[in-house]
Amino acid sequence: MLARAEDAVVRVAAAAMGTRFEAVLCGRDSASLRAAGEAAMEEIRDADARYSLFRRDSLLSHINRTAAERPVRVDRETFAMLACAMEVNALAGGAFDITLAPLMRVWKFHDGSSSAAEPASAEEAAVGMDLVELDEVECTVRFKRPGVSLDLGGLAKGAALVGAAAVLRQAGVTSALVHGGTSSVTAIGAPPGRDGWRVQLGRDAAPVVVLRDMSLSVSAPSGRIVERNGERLGHIIDPRTRAPATCGIAMAAAIDESPLRAEGFSTAMVVLGARPMGAPPEMTSVILGGDGEYRVEGARADLVLGAGRGRPDHETEHMN
Amino acid sequence: MSEIDRREFLVNAVGAAGAFAALSIVPDVLPAAPRVSGAPLNVGVIGIGRQGRAILGELAKIDAVRVTAICDSDSSRLEAGLRRAAGTEGFDDHRKLLEKNDIAAVVIATPTHQHKQIAIDAVQAGKHVYLEAPIAHTAEDCREIARAARGAKGVFAVGLEGRSNPVYKLARSFFRSDAVRDLISMRAQHHQKSSWRVPVSDPSREKAMNWKLDKEVSIGLAGELGTHQFDVVHWYVGQYPTRVRGSGSIRFHQDGREVADTVACDLAFGEGGGGAHLQYMATLANSFEGRHEVFHGSNASIKLAWSHGWMFKEADAPTQGWEVYANRQQFHNDEGITLIAEATKLASQGKLKEGVGLPHPSLYYALADFVRSITEGAPVVAGAEEGMRATLVGLAAQQAVLTGQTVEITQEMLGAG
Repeated sequence: MLARAEDAVVRVAAAAMGTRFEAVLCGRDSASLRAAGEAAMEEIRDADARYSLFRRDSLLSHINRTAAERPVRVDRETFAMLACAMEVNALAGGAFDITLAPLMRVWKFHDGSSSAAEPASAEEAAVGMDLVELDEVECTVRFKRPGVSLDLGGLAKGAALVGAAAVLRQAGVTSALVHGGTSSVTAIGAPPGRDGWRVQLGRDAAPVVVLRDMSLSVSAPSGRIVERNGERLGHIIDPRTRAPATCGIAMAAAIDESPLRAEGFSTAMVVLGARPMGAPPEMTSVILGGDGEYRVEGARADLVLGAGRGRPDHETEHMN
Repeated sequence: MSEIDRREFLVNAVGAAGAFAALSIVPDVLPAAPRVSGAPLNVGVIGIGRQGRAILGELAKIDAVRVTAICDSDSSRLEAGLRRAAGTEGFDDHRKLLEKNDIAAVVIATPTHQHKQIAIDAVQAGKHVYLEAPIAHTAEDCREIARAARGAKGVFAVGLEGRSNPVYKLARSFFRSDAVRDLISMRAQHHQKSSWRVPVSDPSREKAMNWKLDKEVSIGLAGELGTHQFDVVHWYVGQYPTRVRGSGSIRFHQDGREVADTVACDLAFGEGGGGAHLQYMATLANSFEGRHEVFHGSNASIKLAWSHGWMFKEADAPTQGWEVYANRQQFHNDEGITLIAEATKLASQGKLKEGVGLPHPSLYYALADFVRSITEGAPVVAGAEEGMRATLVGLAAQQAVLTGQTVEITQEMLGAG
């Protein structure tokens, strides 16, 4: 039943966070690779169970119910995720923000099943990262006023990938690619005999990113669309205007060692329509402008190959 | 039925009927969080595998406790646990953790066959103990644990989560009323798509880490998973089965394992197996409909799926007043009434739909009950005797799966011993 000793390839998948996560693992023994892949998928389902806004028994729902009354203790991984959200928020000039859940309700991006009351208007909504207080010593999160509600969005996918990659590395896996819904990707090592995992940013002539121990997140203002007064609005909200972003770019991709930072910056770039001024050089960005031109910036621009060079191992879709 | 269960059955049957008559809709059953009074209760968690990590997550939500120590003999698991749990000390040997005088309680979530020694050591160290179910991999170990627990100074609780689950408690009050009426039959399943194998970076640890696939110590799907679900049935019907038949095979995971990946059991209740039957299926090759239990009564059926529960009424069953505004869900040709904890309160606020699904996983409620038993003197919800009997039934089912023979479950077997 086992594949040849040197070229076992195992694929595993899990339904989580409203999308499909998948991992490809390369190595020697398919039974142990499968065990590692399943453990990674369990980690992803755990992240879904902890960070889902739509599950009443998630840790996130517990935080949203409780943190305005008293500080809520969280595990270190959750704390690190929230701290990363703070960091990207600051570096991106507020263009990435996980406190937008009340605005999502104002703009009807979520269905009516959420239990929190809908704010009367965008101006009144309890929104802003300054309303969230993190205590590193006690490992707690607290909201400074009632009505605050966290919606992790893509950050939850990033957290799932952090956990999955940690499990795979701990299991001794040296070559794997994990993605969630094709828009969030993390790579361990490279496929056998290759320099990295090649991921194409879309189809046809789109650039190819070579990932080796790197993560990628792709965001686009398309995806879920709402119509309002005849205007079609994307599902990403600009925290600065408290309204759906109306930028002119078609796609933004962030490449970073941290899946969490990649998620934060890709979202921020769609909001800003550009690479944030404060983005650290180690974050490499690819932006597809309304003019159809790709703009690559950052210290590792060499990871992005021009259109049509080499067959990709994987294609992303422009979905958040 | 043992004496303890008979007594428990009568007490609860009266209580449930009383509560049912007094309320126009259903009892409010979402428990408050354990009270915080003075310094938090220091807890140690022994065994930081998947279940151990889930336990850490739920204990973190309980303000009345603080996890100050964790223990695992596997260094990479211990490191992973320490990375996640803030402010804890790590131990590689449970005896060192038990020496800590400031730790009042321990939660044991190690591989099943290691439970006995750790549980006995914890009792002797004077700690309150929460022991995961199944409590042991042999009948002898089950009885030794129960004997040790009888002499314990502190609380001894077993992780039979169904008994703490608010949806299950609510459904049980219906089950024991005329709403379900005569019990016809039961079925339960635990379906998942998983190899049951955990990744191991150090080959010398393979056998130890993959104990569930080691036929020397594994009690299989019927023992590991069935024990929890069989106990829901014991708790509902107030009886233990009298005989069990079983079968098992490797249907999918042809990776050299010797432990069945698919099993089926028939557990018969009543004298000579002449009462109702529970049909049980568990597999690692298909995840359809996951884990649930179903009770078929002459007036209604109840389906329980851990965070959710539904009641499906027969057309000729009497109508209850509250059904008018109950929340319903369609399953092909059948309509289920959603069983909602705190339904009275939510209904009065017009928010019944928001109560669908529990605010916490089952595990949280079981751990919160354990904490309340320590800090508030609340009765233990599932103790060592219940843990022993549930596990003995699981072991009998596994024996039936392994041998293909009918296994009789006698009062002597389940007795205190």
